Amino acid sequence: MNRDPIFLLLQTLLLLLLAPLLSGVIKNWKAKLQNRRGPRPWQVYFDIAKFLRKDMVISEHASWVFSFAPYVVFLTALLTGLMVPMVNTPAPLSLFGGVLAVVGLLALGRFFLALAGLDPASAFGGMGSSREMTISAIAEPAMMLAIFTVAITAGSTDLSQIAQSTQSATWKLLNPAHVLAFVALFIVLLAETGRIPVDNPATHLELTMIHEAMLLEYSGRYLAFMEWGASIKQLVLMTLLLNVFFPVGLAGPGAGAAALGLSLLAYLVKLFALSAAVVVVETTNAKLRLFRVPDLLSAAFVLATLALLSTFLFH
Amino acid sequence: MAALMLVVQLLMIAQRMLLTNIRLFAIQSLLLAGIAAVVAYYHNASHVYVVAVLTIIGKVIFLPWLLNRLVHRIQIHQEIEPLLNAPTSMLICGGLTLVGYVVARPFTSLERLGNNTLAIALTLLLTGFFLMINRRKALTQVLALLTVENGVMLAAVALTTYGLPLVVELGIFFDVLVAVMVLGILVYRIRENFASMDTSKLNQLKG
Repeated sequence: MNRDPIFLLLQTLLLLLLAPLLSGVIKNWKAKLQNRRGPRPWQVYFDIAKFLRKDMVISEHASWVFSFAPYVVFLTALLTGLMVPMVNTPAPLSLFGGVLAVVGLLALGRFFLALAGLDPASAFGGMGSSREMTISAIAEPAMMLAIFTVAITAGSTDLSQIAQSTQSATWKLLNPAHVLAFVALFIVLLAETGRIPVDNPATHLELTMIHEAMLLEYSGRYLAFMEWGASIKQLVLMTLLLNVFFPVGLAGPGAGAAALGLSLLAYLVKLFALSAAVVVVETTNAKLRLFRVPDLLSAAFVLATLALLSTFLFH
Repeated sequence: MAALMLVVQLLMIAQRMLLTNIRLFAIQSLLLAGIAAVVAYYHNASHVYVVAVLTIIGKVIFLPWLLNRLVHRIQIHQEIEPLLNAPTSMLICGGLTLVGYVVARPFTSLERLGNNTLAIALTLLLTGFFLMINRRKALTQVLALLTVENGVMLAAVALTTYGLPLVVELGIFFDVLVAVMVLGILVYRIRENFASMDTSKLNQLKG
């Protein structure tokens, strides 16, 4: 196990730099697919740089929670990112509990995001927070069950070991439990990153927004951290989905520089293929009515439950 | 692939738009055809190829087209009205899937294709019946019947026999084809006479 400080640094850099690009590419491709020109893929970098330079306007009713939350959201996203294997299998960090710590950290970030929405006492923020919590109350169990399915097959909750054991048994890709868990986790991914059937990332339309509603009061540096944190979270969830279910080309422990480069290439190809899938889903579907969202997520939940049960029934 | 069929079936339960449902049925049939082709290839069972081709022609192209045309003719594109709401029916279907898995378990040694194809075939059968009971509109009940038929085909293809004898399969196939066409006309008539496809209203007829 080489948990080198070098890898820690590299993966942090990769997370920080790749996340805005991913958001930008998804935006750009979505626009292309809808016959629009769309912003350039690297526009998100400029946005974040601009937000970082601007002054902040903070509501006089806001408490310390308001200024504390952006850092929590940003750091929890980054920390979870370090626990997920991206390019080589031993992830740079491994806290106790593995997957449980990942889900817990994401929940912590979401908790502070919801608090930050409530804190300045604007009507939209509170609405966004309550919606976010409603959705995550159903999405989170589905995510846990789906990941447990894989963890049971691998015999460990440590993500690095899960990735390794899935890699050593490629035929397991056709394992019905994995197929079910993958579909469940994909639906959860759409919900957690605020993609179209659940939330529309491109609009500030009052009645429909969820994630944007909570950020409405933010500006300047805090907004930059919030947006950046959200894009890192999206990257982390997609990486989790990719490297747990399709760890093809993932470099093992102690791989050389060439193998790492190849692994990075494979990772990027997989990542952009998944983004393309997300783009297609976003373009071909209409946003669901808020009260229909639980229907979709309960479908994910049932799929994940079936996945978990079928691993037990056939072992 | 069989597991994907199950996923499609569950999506069909959660989905409320009629046209999307028809498209999902086409995808499910395509998967069935794929499974049949794989079986035929691995076991050199040439008549299973016929099944695969017939499935593609009939269930992936012809029937969805027919149903689509019917939908346009009766001008109902909106939502299916299930008796139970989506989360409840999802949970019930989850339960039915478990029943399918448990019942199929003693027979796993008979299967050649993965260890759960029979379970999924049974599940398709059970959830198909559930869909038929749960939906009010006649057209969606026809769709449910078709998924039941997909389940039967899957069981036939996946078990030891590599499919039923060709004659039987052709018989079943054309049976379903004709049944759907007749049902389509029937649906149209029901709609013409009662201005609704809601079959629960037929109970109120008095002689």
